[in-house]
Amino acid sequence: MAAVLIADYPEPGFSFENCKRNASFVANGFVPPKATKTGTTIVGITYKDGVILGADTRATEDTTVSDKNCQKIHYLASNIYCCGAGTAADTEMTTQMISSQLELHRLNTNRVVRVATANQMLKQYLFRYQGYIGAALVLGGVDSTGPNLYCIYPHGSSDKVPYTTMGSGSLAAMAVFESYWRPNMNEDEGKKLVRDAIAAGIFNDLGSGSNVDLCIIKKGTAEYLRTYDEANKKGVRQASYRYPKGTTPILTTKTSNIDVHDVSITYVEPMDMS
Amino acid sequence: MSSIGTGYDLSASQFSPDGRVFQVEYAVKAVENSGTVIALRGKDGVVFAVEKLVTSKLYEPGANRRIFTIDQHVGMGVCGLIADARQIVDIARREAANYKSQFGVKIPIKFLNDRVSMYMHAYTLYSAVRPYGCSVVLGSYDPEDGSSLYMIDPSGVSYGYYGCAIGKAKQSAKTEIEKLKLTNMNTKELVKEAARIIYLVHDELKDKNFELELSWVSKDTNGLHERVPEHVFLEAEKSAKQAMEADSDSDTEDM
Amino acid sequence: MSLAMNAPIASYDNMCSHDWIDAPHSTGTSIMAVEFDGGVVIGADSRSTTGAYIANRYADKLTKITDHIYCCRSGSSADTQAIVDVVVYNLNFHATELGEAPLVESGAAVCKELCYNYRDSLMAGLIVAGWDRKKGGQVYSIPIGGMCVRQPVSIGGSGSTYVYGYVDANYKPGMTQNESVEFVKNSLALAMARDGSSGGVIRIGIITEKGIERHIFEGDSIPKFYEG
Repeated sequence: MAAVLIADYPEPGFSFENCKRNASFVANGFVPPKATKTGTTIVGITYKDGVILGADTRATEDTTVSDKNCQKIHYLASNIYCCGAGTAADTEMTTQMISSQLELHRLNTNRVVRVATANQMLKQYLFRYQGYIGAALVLGGVDSTGPNLYCIYPHGSSDKVPYTTMGSGSLAAMAVFESYWRPNMNEDEGKKLVRDAIAAGIFNDLGSGSNVDLCIIKKGTAEYLRTYDEANKKGVRQASYRYPKGTTPILTTKTSNIDVHDVSITYVEPMDMS
Repeated sequence: MSSIGTGYDLSASQFSPDGRVFQVEYAVKAVENSGTVIALRGKDGVVFAVEKLVTSKLYEPGANRRIFTIDQHVGMGVCGLIADARQIVDIARREAANYKSQFGVKIPIKFLNDRVSMYMHAYTLYSAVRPYGCSVVLGSYDPEDGSSLYMIDPSGVSYGYYGCAIGKAKQSAKTEIEKLKLTNMNTKELVKEAARIIYLVHDELKDKNFELELSWVSKDTNGLHERVPEHVFLEAEKSAKQAMEADSDSDTEDM
Repeated sequence: MSLAMNAPIASYDNMCSHDWIDAPHSTGTSIMAVEFDGGVVIGADSRSTTGAYIANRYADKLTKITDHIYCCRSGSSADTQAIVDVVVYNLNFHATELGEAPLVESGAAVCKELCYNYRDSLMAGLIVAGWDRKKGGQVYSIPIGGMCVRQPVSIGGSGSTYVYGYVDANYKPGMTQNESVEFVKNSLALAMARDGSSGGVIRIGIITEKGIERHIFEGDSIPKFYEG
């Protein structure tokens, strides 16, 4: 109506029009390209001195294992790490972006950034994208308030929790936590518990596999234990499967000669490259 | 160009070397040329009274009123350039309505006073605008907080008052107000006093005709700001005139 | 979850995708608030679910807006948390501008404005409750479309449908603080027992002039009723 004289203002906020369009394509039988998912087991616990994060290392594209040793524990700040499950690209880019903002925040305020800040930034970012950024996160760290652990969902909700699991293997891992987690565990107990939880995911969930990564964050230090354990070690072959020589008997032998009638050599002028 | 003045009075955004903003002071002069406005805050409400000068007999009675209702519970008396004042009334009304739609409750007068004075002050800061040539008094009554009264002048400064007077005869009006025991008085008594003071300070020689305006906001009106009912108005006006006559009688006796 | 188990195993996606992975995280909930002379009692269960999975069995759905205004959240976790964050910001700003604690009515009005304006994209049922010096204890119900109405007692969330009768039968105007706490406890216990997506512990908050006093009832301290 008003088009002739006054330009219509675009709707404020993001447009999710194409998301709806894509959904209708899928409903009509279109097969969209598959994103790499970290069909995953990620976990986190708080213990006496800090938090321990854990993750498996399998990345999948549909039924294929696309990476057998990927990293799912992302750096956010020197005192904060974050495990990511869901769309690999989304967890990677989201954590990188928030990490960058946290570093700028640290430089501006000249203080150790708080886990609550990281949580707020992540949840607001994810809420803005209404769940279309497929990042399910376990956020952990230690700051002036002590150890903090958060569980953040793709739609932008978050819970502050003493222990949590996420990803397709979260049921298996949660079963371990619900049985064995206690308040005020020591570091060795905590590491074993987290390893066991991830191992439960690796063994019982098809989307999870390969190794266990750990990250132990205490006041002042963070220890990233890449490949803390190979929970599902590949078996060693017990015998040689090579056939010994002579396994197939030679029944007959026949030799034919190849007659050479003519040999010609053509000289090819090289291209002038000057 | 006129050679009068120091040249520091041409813009609201420039100080004079002794730290004054002349444009604001001129705006105050505009207020001092206007008919007197008084507001009295008693124990159960606030009364407004205005000496509205009538410059022509051709005007309808009740034209160019100087008392406005900002929201149901807030009254405003204005003094100075009426057109400027109407703009202040307009923004005060918007502020009150906006607050109500945002927070679901009537605007606290303290808050309204802050917003309106901030707005008026903003007009003392820029070269492209002139300050408002008006002062306003804001009054309200709340069952919990009691009555409250504020006055804002063209500089954007505002204070809370027990009683205040602005305009031509503000000095003599203030002297009269100071004689009253305001905190012990109810609005019924205040209306009479307010009318009396307006009649008293009116200068018949300089300004011939004037119209009295009276309004109140009190416990008796259920916290609503309204013009005083006709019979109250007539009674107040009558007793004001009687007081004047008694006054002039005693004057003659003295002579 | 159950759907994925019965479906023919055609692809890996069918084998390991569970509805709760993609299902939005929501607080299928039982929440409640009651006015009494001098304050309000608010209460909630602690279960938060994604589809059929309990994402958090110890969630806190009684969220602080100001010292004297709290909000009981039901619906989508993400939506209600985002709303409350915005309301907290606005009301804190308003409080400093005002120089005093905001009224419960104002808190409810700000919540309502957001819930109404974004009613097409939000899934949020809130109960705003608190105490202020003007009207004392107050409860405002803001259901999904963004309506706002004051009620002496209000229930919300999926569990509330099971206890409307109980609440109607047992609410008495002029109950004391302790009577109100018992009433809320019993109503929530009944709701949690019948509603699959409510459960866990009962969280109670008592808001008076002095601020909030919080209680948790778990295990044996949750009232028991007929369980057949």
